[in-house]
Amino acid sequence: MAGSTNKTVHDIFQSMESGPAAASSTSTAQAWLNNNSHLLGLFIDGKSDVPANRPSRMLTDCKGTQLCSAVVAVEEDVSVCASSSLSGFRTWSELSCSQRANVMLRMVGVLGQHGVCVSEMFDLCDAACPPASLVRLLQFYSSWAQLRGTLIPGWTPLGVVLVVVSDDCSLYNLMIKVLPALAMGNSVIVVPGLRTAAPALLLAQLFTAAGLPAGALNVLTGSDPSLGATVAANPSISYVTYSGNKQDGVTLCKATAGFGVPVSVSSILGARCPFIVFESSDIDSAVDAVIQSAFNKRREVHWVLCVQESVQDRLVSRLRLRMSGMKSVGLQSEEERFLVEAAVQEASSRGATLVQSCAPPPSGAQYPPTVICGAAPSSPFVVCPPPGPLLPLLTFRSNSEAVTLANHSPHGQAASIWTEELTLALETAKSVCVGSVCVNSVSVSDPCLPVSGHKDSGSCTDGGAEGLYQFLRPSSSSSPPLPRSSRLSMDYSHFGSAAPPAIIIPDASASAPKSLPQLVCPDGGRKDVRNAVEAAAKVQPGWMKKSPSARAQSLLSLAKGLEGKRRDLSSSIVQTGLSLDKADEEVELSIARLSDWAAYCDKVQGGTPSLPLSGSALSLPEALGVVGVVLPDKNPLLSMVTLLGAAIAYGNAVILIPSEKSPLPALTFIQVLQASDLPAGLVNVITGSRDQLTAALANHSVIKAIWYWGSAEGVQFLQHSCSSPLKTLLLSSQQKGGKGARDWTHPSVLEEMGRNAVQWKSVWIPTA
Amino acid sequence: MSARNPGMNLDLEWVSKVRVNTQAVLKRAQQIQGQKLPKKQWQAAWLLKAVTCIDLTTLAGDDTPSNVHRLCLKAIQPVRHDLLKEMDMHDKGVTTGAVCVYPSRVADAVKTLKAANSSLPVASVATGFPAGQTPLETRLQEVRLAVADGATEIDIVINRMLALTGQWEAMYDEIRQFREACGDAHMKTILAIGELGTFTNVYKASLVSMMAGSDFIKTSTGKESVNATYPVAIVMVRAIRDYFLCTGHKVGFKPAGGIRTAQESLVWLTLIKEELGNDWLCPLLFRLGASSLLADIERQIYHHVTGQYAAYHELPMA
Repeated sequence: MAGSTNKTVHDIFQSMESGPAAASSTSTAQAWLNNNSHLLGLFIDGKSDVPANRPSRMLTDCKGTQLCSAVVAVEEDVSVCASSSLSGFRTWSELSCSQRANVMLRMVGVLGQHGVCVSEMFDLCDAACPPASLVRLLQFYSSWAQLRGTLIPGWTPLGVVLVVVSDDCSLYNLMIKVLPALAMGNSVIVVPGLRTAAPALLLAQLFTAAGLPAGALNVLTGSDPSLGATVAANPSISYVTYSGNKQDGVTLCKATAGFGVPVSVSSILGARCPFIVFESSDIDSAVDAVIQSAFNKRREVHWVLCVQESVQDRLVSRLRLRMSGMKSVGLQSEEERFLVEAAVQEASSRGATLVQSCAPPPSGAQYPPTVICGAAPSSPFVVCPPPGPLLPLLTFRSNSEAVTLANHSPHGQAASIWTEELTLALETAKSVCVGSVCVNSVSVSDPCLPVSGHKDSGSCTDGGAEGLYQFLRPSSSSSPPLPRSSRLSMDYSHFGSAAPPAIIIPDASASAPKSLPQLVCPDGGRKDVRNAVEAAAKVQPGWMKKSPSARAQSLLSLAKGLEGKRRDLSSSIVQTGLSLDKADEEVELSIARLSDWAAYCDKVQGGTPSLPLSGSALSLPEALGVVGVVLPDKNPLLSMVTLLGAAIAYGNAVILIPSEKSPLPALTFIQVLQASDLPAGLVNVITGSRDQLTAALANHSVIKAIWYWGSAEGVQFLQHSCSSPLKTLLLSSQQKGGKGARDWTHPSVLEEMGRNAVQWKSVWIPTA
Repeated sequence: MSARNPGMNLDLEWVSKVRVNTQAVLKRAQQIQGQKLPKKQWQAAWLLKAVTCIDLTTLAGDDTPSNVHRLCLKAIQPVRHDLLKEMDMHDKGVTTGAVCVYPSRVADAVKTLKAANSSLPVASVATGFPAGQTPLETRLQEVRLAVADGATEIDIVINRMLALTGQWEAMYDEIRQFREACGDAHMKTILAIGELGTFTNVYKASLVSMMAGSDFIKTSTGKESVNATYPVAIVMVRAIRDYFLCTGHKVGFKPAGGIRTAQESLVWLTLIKEELGNDWLCPLLFRLGASSLLADIERQIYHHVTGQYAAYHELPMA
């Protein structure tokens, strides 16, 4: 800076350079930090608390200079915090809906009063959450708080929700978890990351000042994300949800496996996302968007520029022109620079050409924005994107190839599509397998858009009305929460590998069906699962594309088939030890259940959320894909048709592992399936050792979701091994004697399972 | 520097491929307007650059030799000499880009400038300005007469009827003839964007005008209801960039109408710098059509030099 202040007017007149960026004031935020003696404490029970004799962690601002330090919570603090959250939950959930909504609206007012401090603090910590979007979040969720009782009857809050984020996660992504949890009446413990610690503590103070009861929002700071697992181990926690990078998410999943607490993950950071430019696009605007989004220091995803071959040259020449004069982007460290340079070097050695804004500076943790033309999906820097402002450019020939290229990635976070053709835009938006699609725009987020991370990018839905359900459970006691347990010591690699005992079906009695062989139940294995997944994956896309009414017809025909076989089925249930009356009743309920699902097929619909921006948004329910279901022992037929119906009604294919104890109803049901008009491969039934088949399901990456009823070991195994690639898990551990088991006859099961059978995509089409 | 844009054959395929996404352009315009503007000496330097790009304009029915005379002398000394001296810019030839008058006043302006030993260009509007609703023959004759009177820059208006009905070929031919009539005088083509309907039409009209050999494309006459807006400017400069990338010829850009404050002039310079680069930040490729803008810029420069806000009467009038 010292040199530039000597520039004369004439120098600048000649060079027309822009002056140095004026440093924005941070005095108010600094004053707040001074007030706290630059040592931020934990926020427990409505007040800031700096316990003595704790280690602390240095927090830095966006330029890497020291800002303040934060106390590192230890075991003792965690239990104090958890009991505070429990009492906070009681107070908060006992308030009426409108009282909670009022508190949230008052938060908006308090934010306004302390607007300068808040926005300075956000800037200082690079929190990437403009106060205006925080206000939007608060207003959106306060309206849901107000109407929870009216619009979501029959659901209650979970209890204490733990929100964990990684160090690099933005405040916006933290708050889009915290605020809906609060709005639904839960109390929340936040374990913030490096970037969000100071802002989260400031917000907790302000929210408490706005009337949030003590304990409803507690903040625990730690030295690294492992604190999340320590907190999750506390039995008061009902639900853990994580947002941030993939790696920390996996660590958290593995560390919390076996605690008996459900964990959901939004791996929103670091995903590889397609930026598709068709020849029918406004290329200049697309280039603008690339420049705005692809090279930021704090970009959340790695964009991959996919360009139609016919306009590649036009796009690259514009990029070259627009990028000239862009300054180098700061990196986290010298090591990062080394990684970036290695990637660029390798790209060049494979014949890629570079578009660089300027030559890389000789040293220092910075690198110029760089587009790597001539990349291919197999290029190492595309497969495993390095940090830094690198943008690979791929080309495609046709519209359908664009979709193939975009979908050929383990991630499913977001996509940006550029075309002026409405039909092409919508077709592409529907075909790309991601949670958030922006047409002719990039990275537009709003709390009214429901977004599920597809594939490896997430196991829950955030935003929209749909995103509220992760913080709710049906109020009828029909679905018990996972019982808290302590972690078992187990060898994950050997789970399910023990030789299964041969399952011998009880000897033929008078009521045994004559059509079934009375010998040994088929003992399916890993290969059978593989074949089933293959068949299911093949048929599922076509099934999903069928109209809801066509799916309904198939389910109705299944119900009819069941009716025809009701005698065989009820005698197969009798074999599991039920009385004939009870068995008949279960068959009748199962027939009714299938008819219910047929009717539900067209009832989960997308919508048109209204954003505070000009344009049209769509929210679209989509099938998960192939779902593995390990069925419960209780109500073997009813539970099976309930889960099967949920899955296929919304377009999934399913692999059923019948109960080890009572497989006969499922085997009898196979005949009904065979006689139905369901496409072959849509429903697969594999009997055998539950553990072995569960391990096989867990190890197949095509399976997106597993619904599991089984042992505590099985639950722990799945939580541990389904974190990468990520699977959406719905877990129940069956206790001895069927204690606390789900009531399958209760109608609330339908809505709950239906919600678990879809994932959400939102499409944003801005218009002038 | 670079040669004039010679134009090229009309390429209708290129014109037909044009796509403009309105909301993306509006968003870009907002983003440019939201950028931090230069401060301190950077601001002063940028404002002086803006001064050198001004086409100091008077286009009124009551223009007479006396106010044209005043205008020309102001154009030669746009900022008070003592203020320039403070910044060591008094000997750097800071004048406005040109003066811009009606054809009948060209002779007056040329006379004044000649008497003042100035080589400042005189620009004349022509071709039935502002509506362009006169026969082609009279429009061509108007150009020839203005050139004969000594105008070295001619601001022509396009025939909006042809643009709106998509008769690009006819429009191309007309502009070609204007260019011929201009001879050595530089031709600025006014698109009258307020009357073109869509951004796509603005882009197409820009391309056709450049293909026909315009040296500049200009937003508006200042007489339409919508004048120079940032979004429309983004569309036009993108067309200029497109043309440059395809032909290698640099065409200039002139926003006109409604530009009154120093602040706005800084946004305009930012827009050009961002979209086209520093090459375009010179009077050869960028002009601001304005009349009252200069007074505001001079006040800002006064403030930069003295730290005080000037009353209008402290600065010489145009």
